[in-house]
Amino acid sequence: MSKLHPLAILFNIFKSVRSIMYGLLPIIVLAIGDGFFKYLFLAIGAILVITIVIGVLTWLRFTYEVTDDELHIKQGILVRKDRYISKNRIQSIDLTQGIFHRPFGLTRVDIETAGSDKDVDASLSAVHLSEGRRVKNELKGLVETGETKTEAEKQYPKRTITNRSLFIAGATSGSIGIIIGLFGLLFSQLENMIPDYVYEVGAEWLLAQAIITLVVLAIFIVVFLWLLGILGTFIKYGSFQITRFDDELLITRGLLEKKQMTIPLKRIQAVGIEEGLTRQPFGLATVYVVIAGGEIGKTADQHTLLFPILKKRDISAFLGEILPEYNHIPDEFHRPPKRAIPYYIVRSITLPVLAVIGSYLFIPLLWVYIAIFAGAMFILGYFCYRDAGYTIKGRQLMVQMRRFSKETLIIPHNRVQSVDFKKHFLHRKQGLAQAKVSILSKLAGRHLWVKELEQHHVKRISDWI
Amino acid sequence: MRQPPKQRIAEDAIKAWRLSALLYLLIPVALTIGAFILTYVIEFLPPWVWILLLALTIIDLVVSPFILPKLRWRRWRYEVLDDEIYIQHGILIVTQTLIPMIRVQHVDTKQGPILANYKLATLTISTAATIHEIPALTEQEASNMRDLISELARVEQEDV
Repeated sequence: MSKLHPLAILFNIFKSVRSIMYGLLPIIVLAIGDGFFKYLFLAIGAILVITIVIGVLTWLRFTYEVTDDELHIKQGILVRKDRYISKNRIQSIDLTQGIFHRPFGLTRVDIETAGSDKDVDASLSAVHLSEGRRVKNELKGLVETGETKTEAEKQYPKRTITNRSLFIAGATSGSIGIIIGLFGLLFSQLENMIPDYVYEVGAEWLLAQAIITLVVLAIFIVVFLWLLGILGTFIKYGSFQITRFDDELLITRGLLEKKQMTIPLKRIQAVGIEEGLTRQPFGLATVYVVIAGGEIGKTADQHTLLFPILKKRDISAFLGEILPEYNHIPDEFHRPPKRAIPYYIVRSITLPVLAVIGSYLFIPLLWVYIAIFAGAMFILGYFCYRDAGYTIKGRQLMVQMRRFSKETLIIPHNRVQSVDFKKHFLHRKQGLAQAKVSILSKLAGRHLWVKELEQHHVKRISDWI
Repeated sequence: MRQPPKQRIAEDAIKAWRLSALLYLLIPVALTIGAFILTYVIEFLPPWVWILLLALTIIDLVVSPFILPKLRWRRWRYEVLDDEIYIQHGILIVTQTLIPMIRVQHVDTKQGPILANYKLATLTISTAATIHEIPALTEQEASNMRDLISELARVEQEDV
């Protein structure tokens, strides 16, 4: 049986101190006013000592062992817990090196099993990197013999991101667009919400500044946010690398926190290509996979990026190298017919138009802005129509659609959970129908709509299933 | 779109739906009575409120127990094929659903007091991502279907 690295004690203590802090903060704030300092320090001291003792005991009692066909973890101070995770139930093993791990050459090992039951998963909070690799290889049934491994590794296809692409990815990440939009919204709200005198004082100050100062200030803020976005991208996806092994993908990424992720091919439900609004004009896109189960709540992102940014015309080559199973990006999609356009436009402008009418009646100052927004939604509705479509190639279904970003999904036949076809009375008159394809994703399910297709196309999809 | 599925659900479904619609009618009836009391006993509401509610209740009384169940029953079809389950339902919006047999994770039958009264049961089919229902089959039919589907679905379950 082996133990974790002693530094795990510190990690444990930090973690519990942090969670205790949230609970204690209100009490501390109250106590400061009443001059209970003495007792407060005593209490904090006592809690600290208890936390440290518990931390040490937890570490002492935590042991793990990799045997022939399972991982065995023993833990618990008073209540002893023995957990056996059998090797073939393990879905993936991730190594994460946080900023505190890295100076000591440590890593965290997360072991994930199928299903969303969190209690079944295991985590080794700090072990030496070499030990982490050993555990990982042993659990995967690989025997480590230095040379053969490095030799073998070289033959696997691999892609690394360049700093230039990282910069482009950050620069077009679009988060800035959202932030500016929010600012605009906030400002137009403030104009009406703020009490008059505040508004007047503020306006006086603003007017006192030269226009140029204001413009410079605005530009400065925008550029600052934009740079922040780029920095965030560098931290998250710095030294991104993806490697294709026989039946899994290995992704390593992160500048401060290094993350190593394995994705078994059999967990992939679909491959998606997303062209964001800020990226599409430059012919750029990201490639992601939709994965089933596990990791719920652990990562905020719904899908896992295969590559942060690629030129659209390079995607085929990329998939051909890394995921040849999914390398059938078609040129031609079956699009909805022209008579579907009104449906798409009505769907996208109904709410904005109601908002325009509402604001015209109640907040007349605002209606022009909302009308501009409604106009934008009208255009978006048309593009939603233009970018909707499907195509079938052998055992794969490809669906294209747009909400804001244009997305293309490649779904293998055996990953389709169910298909729905809907038509209401107007559709029936016009010979239209809509199709909904359901696949499995981290959040229980994802439903892909292709709306207002010709009915014979819908029949084709249903025959293909 | 495809030809509709072949099998219909039990004809008693109409009666069961009618009964449950009548039970749900108690809510608008109670609201109308409440409004009536508020208008004339406490004199809190203007009279048009309870008259409007009464009109809506009467429309509901005609439509939901006596018209909708029949229409709904007429549209409801299902068919279990060797490799897929095919369902159609919906009055204004017609939905046809295909569930590949290998994706079926489990099948349940369930029965509330109203369905039990007519010896009917609902069949629920779950995949990893979706849940589908075939309402109001005869008990016999429902349990046969459940056994048939779980038999067919057992063949070659892949991962996930």
